[in-house]
Amino acid sequence: MPEAYPLPSNLSSATVTNTASLLRIVTLALISGAAIASRLFAVINFESIIHEFDPWFNYRATRVLATKGFYEFWNWFDPTAWYPLGRVVGGTVYPGLMATSGVIYNLLHALNLPVDIRNVCVLLAPGFSALTAWATYMFTKEMKDPSAGLLAAAFIGIVPGYISRSVAGSYDNEAIAIFLLMFTFYCWIKALKQGSALFGTVAAVFYFYMVAAWGGYVFITNMIPLHALVLILMGRFSNRLYAAYSSWYAIGTLASMQVPFVGFQPVKTSEHMAALAVFGLLQIVAFAQLVRSHVSSQQFQKLLFIGVVAIGILGAAAFGIMTLKGWIAPWTGRFYSLWDTGYAKKYIPIIASVSEHQPTAWPSFFMDLQFLIFLFPAGVVVCFRQLRDEHLFVIIYAVMASYFAGVMVRLMLTLTPVVCVASAVALSTLLDTYIDPTEPEINDDTVSESGASTASAPAPGANGTSHPTTPKKTKKAVPPPQSTSALGQIIAASRSSNNKPRPKGIFGADTRLMVVFNAMCLLAFFVFHCTWVTSSAYSSPSVVLASTNPDGSQHIIDDFREAYYWLRQNTQEDSVVLSWWDYGYQIAGMADRPTLVDNNTWNNTHIATVGKVMASSEEVAYPILRKHDVQYILVIFGGLLGYSGDDINKFLWMVRIAQGIWPDEVQEPSFFTPRGEYKVDDQASPTMRNSMMYKMSYYRFAELFGGNAATDRVRQQQLPKVGPTLDYVDEAFTSENWIVRIYEVKKEDPLGRDHKSANAFSQGKKRKRTKPAQRRRAIL
Amino acid sequence: MPNRWRTIPFLLSFIIQSLAAPQSFENTAIVRSVELGGVAVHVTTTFAIKALEPGAKVYTIALGRQEKEKTSWFEVKVKGQQNPLLISEHPYAYESTRNYHLVDVTLPRPLTANGTLNIVLEAVQTHATTPWPTTASQKEDQALKFTADLLVLSPYHTLVQRTKLKALTPRLISFTIPKEVQDFMPDTPASKSGATVTYGPFNDIPPSANENFIAAYQQPVTIHYFHEQPVLEILKLTRSAEISHWGANLNIQDDIQLHNAGPALKGHFSRLDHQSQAFYKKPAPHALPALTLHLPSGIRNAYYYDLIGNVSTSRLRVAPSPPKNSKTKQYSVLELRPRYPIMGGWNYTFTLGWDAPLADSANWDHATGKYMVEIPIMTPITGAVVNNAEVKIILPEGATDVEFTPPFSALENRVSTHVTYLDTTGRPTLTFEYKDLTVMHAQSIFVSYKVSLSAHLKKPVAVATAFFSLFAFALLGRRINLTIHKNKVL
Amino acid sequence: MKSFSFIFALLSLPFCIANTQDAVHKQLVELAVAGNGVIKLDPKSFDLITSPKRNWSAAIQLTALDKRRRCLPCNDFDPSFNAVAKAWATTSKKNRDNHFFATLDFDDGQVVFQKLGLTSAPVVQVYPAVEGPRAPANGKVAPIPYDFSSGYEASTLAEAMSRYTPVVIPYSDPIDWARYSTFAAGLLAFTVMLRFIAPILQSRWTWATISIGLSLIMTSGYMFVRIRGSPYAAQDGSWIAGGYQNQYGQEVSVIAFIYGLLAFAFLMLIMVIPYQMSPNRQRLQVYLWTGVIMIIYSILISIFRVKNRGYPFKLFL
Repeated sequence: MPEAYPLPSNLSSATVTNTASLLRIVTLALISGAAIASRLFAVINFESIIHEFDPWFNYRATRVLATKGFYEFWNWFDPTAWYPLGRVVGGTVYPGLMATSGVIYNLLHALNLPVDIRNVCVLLAPGFSALTAWATYMFTKEMKDPSAGLLAAAFIGIVPGYISRSVAGSYDNEAIAIFLLMFTFYCWIKALKQGSALFGTVAAVFYFYMVAAWGGYVFITNMIPLHALVLILMGRFSNRLYAAYSSWYAIGTLASMQVPFVGFQPVKTSEHMAALAVFGLLQIVAFAQLVRSHVSSQQFQKLLFIGVVAIGILGAAAFGIMTLKGWIAPWTGRFYSLWDTGYAKKYIPIIASVSEHQPTAWPSFFMDLQFLIFLFPAGVVVCFRQLRDEHLFVIIYAVMASYFAGVMVRLMLTLTPVVCVASAVALSTLLDTYIDPTEPEINDDTVSESGASTASAPAPGANGTSHPTTPKKTKKAVPPPQSTSALGQIIAASRSSNNKPRPKGIFGADTRLMVVFNAMCLLAFFVFHCTWVTSSAYSSPSVVLASTNPDGSQHIIDDFREAYYWLRQNTQEDSVVLSWWDYGYQIAGMADRPTLVDNNTWNNTHIATVGKVMASSEEVAYPILRKHDVQYILVIFGGLLGYSGDDINKFLWMVRIAQGIWPDEVQEPSFFTPRGEYKVDDQASPTMRNSMMYKMSYYRFAELFGGNAATDRVRQQQLPKVGPTLDYVDEAFTSENWIVRIYEVKKEDPLGRDHKSANAFSQGKKRKRTKPAQRRRAIL
Repeated sequence: MPNRWRTIPFLLSFIIQSLAAPQSFENTAIVRSVELGGVAVHVTTTFAIKALEPGAKVYTIALGRQEKEKTSWFEVKVKGQQNPLLISEHPYAYESTRNYHLVDVTLPRPLTANGTLNIVLEAVQTHATTPWPTTASQKEDQALKFTADLLVLSPYHTLVQRTKLKALTPRLISFTIPKEVQDFMPDTPASKSGATVTYGPFNDIPPSANENFIAAYQQPVTIHYFHEQPVLEILKLTRSAEISHWGANLNIQDDIQLHNAGPALKGHFSRLDHQSQAFYKKPAPHALPALTLHLPSGIRNAYYYDLIGNVSTSRLRVAPSPPKNSKTKQYSVLELRPRYPIMGGWNYTFTLGWDAPLADSANWDHATGKYMVEIPIMTPITGAVVNNAEVKIILPEGATDVEFTPPFSALENRVSTHVTYLDTTGRPTLTFEYKDLTVMHAQSIFVSYKVSLSAHLKKPVAVATAFFSLFAFALLGRRINLTIHKNKVL
Repeated sequence: MKSFSFIFALLSLPFCIANTQDAVHKQLVELAVAGNGVIKLDPKSFDLITSPKRNWSAAIQLTALDKRRRCLPCNDFDPSFNAVAKAWATTSKKNRDNHFFATLDFDDGQVVFQKLGLTSAPVVQVYPAVEGPRAPANGKVAPIPYDFSSGYEASTLAEAMSRYTPVVIPYSDPIDWARYSTFAAGLLAFTVMLRFIAPILQSRWTWATISIGLSLIMTSGYMFVRIRGSPYAAQDGSWIAGGYQNQYGQEVSVIAFIYGLLAFAFLMLIMVIPYQMSPNRQRLQVYLWTGVIMIIYSILISIFRVKNRGYPFKLFL
């Protein structure tokens, strides 16, 4: 029996298994460490701070939970959001995230570890990423074997596609959701394989957790039924499937209805109907199987078959009717826009305006998944080779998720785990093949039974972590399905270890070395790539901006917090702040002041009101401002620094959304130059130049440049020498780099004049004469 | 600070004496010079006294009513000497109806007849000035008003006395010209030279510490002057000093509520004007862009954050910690920039903290086996006054027989326990509360305590047990097989 | 004498204006009927229909349909406009005559285009009624341009126009018979062929190819191209779009091919080569496919560096 390289022969199998398990534990620990460490760039480069926008709300809610207790949080009515409407927070959030960190917080304090709640929130995502790695390991172990599991865990630990939503400080639902997703799937697979109602129940419990944590639970709600359906269609129905699915669906659905924000959706909306339908179908099929096993007459079986089909059709029809009747709510906009991709832009501009709802170009795929992106198709094919039930799951998951990820950038998150699993399967198969030292003999007649068995025996001992997959296969009840193509037959033959295997193996050490070395290079490159992407692209908390001084040292631009803190310290507790909805959560979190609109965009009209204020002239906006007793207006202006994410660039969305409600008061075309360009310089359209947004952004901006022409660094345009003038609002505060500008809305004039004439009076006659002229131009 | 005058019993005898002989002294000259400032005003009064009879040992000083209310700190010295003299409440001092207040000073040695001595009364008055006008726009100046009594009261006959008010700039707006003082001085009672306004000299004044003299002659004089530094108040200072023997570390953390007590900002803040002022090197006098603090030397990982996170705009230059018992005092300089320039009437709260090596401020007495730790009450901020201060000293876990000696007695002090990382029983904590602290109060509390070896070892033992039990649990969990029967599905 | 005639004129002024208005209206109605719903305008009739004393409203399409003008959008949009106008023509007379649809071609009325200062076509302007019951309450009679941002479909146009017409335009999309028939035919063919293609359908490798194909296309940005409607290649023929957030249609195929090739190379190494029983050929194949992986991968990296300029890493090329 030739071998490419010698193996230690004096090892007892016990030693091998023990060493293997020890190695596995150590490796998992190291992987978790790497996963956590690579997410701490944000904390090291900047500080332990909550990132971006939504996390600020979660953080605020968590603080309430941690300080006031769960009951208070549960029926917390937040009067400062959506002023004057307020928001019932308890019923309109997915409480899973807050509850999790609340529990952790209380646990630590019970152990006399007074950790600040902020740090708990900041470090939650990295911590859970370690758990995700573990869950992925378990999942992949079910697919192939522990060695593949370890690879998958390592991949998911550092792959940018997942890090992008789980760096330290991005305290969002996705932080814990991916772990729940993977673990629910793992439990499902386990339940399916063993047909155990226990694992089905565990899956249901984690499904409930997922429902409580993330709106994306709908993905699970449709993934598992789809898997079950495909199994049925392939004639792979079994009692294991029945037990697993029924236990999962029954308990999971009931549990999920306990989340107030979800309520009765699981039985009323179309997103959840697939699960219900499959559940029904499963019952029918099971019944049919039962009868078939007892009855033997052909006709009856035919009849039965027809009956089954009829019932299925009837059910589908009933579903359709109920949808038409409106007893079942049709798909929600966000969900629907996944299928009809033009839908959002036309009907729900707010959804379309969010950057993470844009479609994905291929560079972002490669950026987020690097070499996994072309390794995972190979993995899928490998899954096809021995088509077990769980492999089907991976295949379906891969196809669906790659579609969704293509439609929406943010759904890259759901694609990432399956990519990691599939490519881990592929890579570990490759390594198994090329590390296994046994060489096949070259002889024409097929190898003897003993030769084959010995050929496969030392393999597990050879590479520390790989277990023989044969026992699992023999346990599996599924017979190798017949396949037509030659390749298929080859593999079918090679799979079943009882009939004679076609000899396989690699000759020579150099080939092995070649392939393994190549794989190692790929992996090393992957690590470098991930580190670079994480540190450069995904680790900046958009609250703090960083630039580099001429001498190369890092310079922190902290205007947002400067302005927010000023609001917090030097304005009344109850003064209402108006800003575009992107900044609602941050103002509530950092400035602690009431806001008109914020990032949970549930009230289109209210947002459109803000859009209208920004888009219309002072005279029009002032009454609206007073009606909503707004005291301060906050605009983001990047023109001085070249910060491109500012309000002037978002302005068109404000206009569009306002236009949706007031089509004849706000019109998008009138904000463009006659040539249809979007300009802010002296060619800007009069409507543009009279809009609140324009005025507040460029108020006294030209003066900053003394005599020289003022340049907007974002738009690269020269501004007119004389800047806009403001009559109805006062500049209250402007941050150091002019990024945040806060204006105070004047009270009504004590003498009952309108502010324009009041100002004109106080500034002498000159202004008074010129003003009306401008006014007339503006209206026309 | 009324309790500044708590009676000290063994002085009673002298009090009797002083009562018996009210005219045992005569003031040959009294010179009071006031250095006008922001919230804190330094008043230095020099008494040239002459004993009229031998053996006079207790000299009595009189303060006007407002003067006493404003004064937050004072001490009396013999001119040219360092150590302050014993001072004590004059009997029957607490009569709120009275317009003056008496304090007895015990001289270092009894004077012979006609023996002379110069004693100096140094006092700091807080919140003695008021901004006027009360609002100022970003481009305007800041002006303050200060009011004092014209005459220095004294229970003794005074030959000559004068009062000098020193402003920082010669640009004075106005000052009161007193009237009805002809019987003490013929010519003009007030004269201005440079930045100084001088009242007096007023010649032989009878014993003035009595109601009818005050009613007859005492009158307030007000000076209105420009002040070019921002007027700062610290509304609340919460300092917690945590001693850790395992880390050989003294962590000090201040929570500070800063308030600009100058004229409130008129209109609104314009960044453009602010930047142009900074550009032309003419900053608004009432705006505080940054302030410099002197932290102890040899400190480690200092931090400066506020309610919404770290503040990156500040610079720290650490001085190496000095060798033991070296006289030269070094400071680490912290240039602290708030998030935004603090204009008149604005607030800014922040937290400032640092770790210092414990060896710099603590030592161990072999004889008694006690540790002696020195905790500074506050970090002086020049020209600022701390309205309320709470100093919390957290001793290591298991510290016993704790004793402390404050430099001056606190409003209130209490002992509690504080539980933090890896504690089992909690740490004894001393809390002191003060009002109206000035630079003069920047002194240290000395705390001494014992820590037994077992108390030292408590922490590691606790941690070790926790880990060990965890591992034991895992061990059992892995060994015990809970399956009822062999799983025969599949 | 002169003065007298002047007074006369003054007196008769209102009547004649009223008369002319009615006349114009009648004329327009006839034109509309003639051009089944759409009035073909020239400068003169344009002035009539937009006369400052109109008591009707009008939606006017300013376009350039002539081939020589090479205005593709005009030709795309014209049918939908006509469809909507046709639908409007079916409403009851009293409603129909209060609102007109009209078209002015560039070649017929350049002067109008110059007068309106239009540099681009097509443009749809709605002229609200100035007088009469249907004059807008807020008194805004300036022409309202139609916003093309939501596309050239007739349905959206009808929806938007219905805001200015007395009654909602009864427009409904024509049923796309072609699509349905093809679908039905396909279904039929499938059912017929079922027994023949059944073995293919049952082969897992068919499904493998399908699913791999799908995921490859999706992961190479197909949906992006579809949603953003980005062209197959740039005008200057460059097939790769600059910029990290952008891509052309051609990139989809290229990238998908590269991914596919790499995946195939791995599959060869995993599934085929081990069964190659002659050492030398096996060794040859191993080296071959490893080489393929290295080279193609480095090509991929170099393409990615074009898209993302900041990318620091590179392989052999």
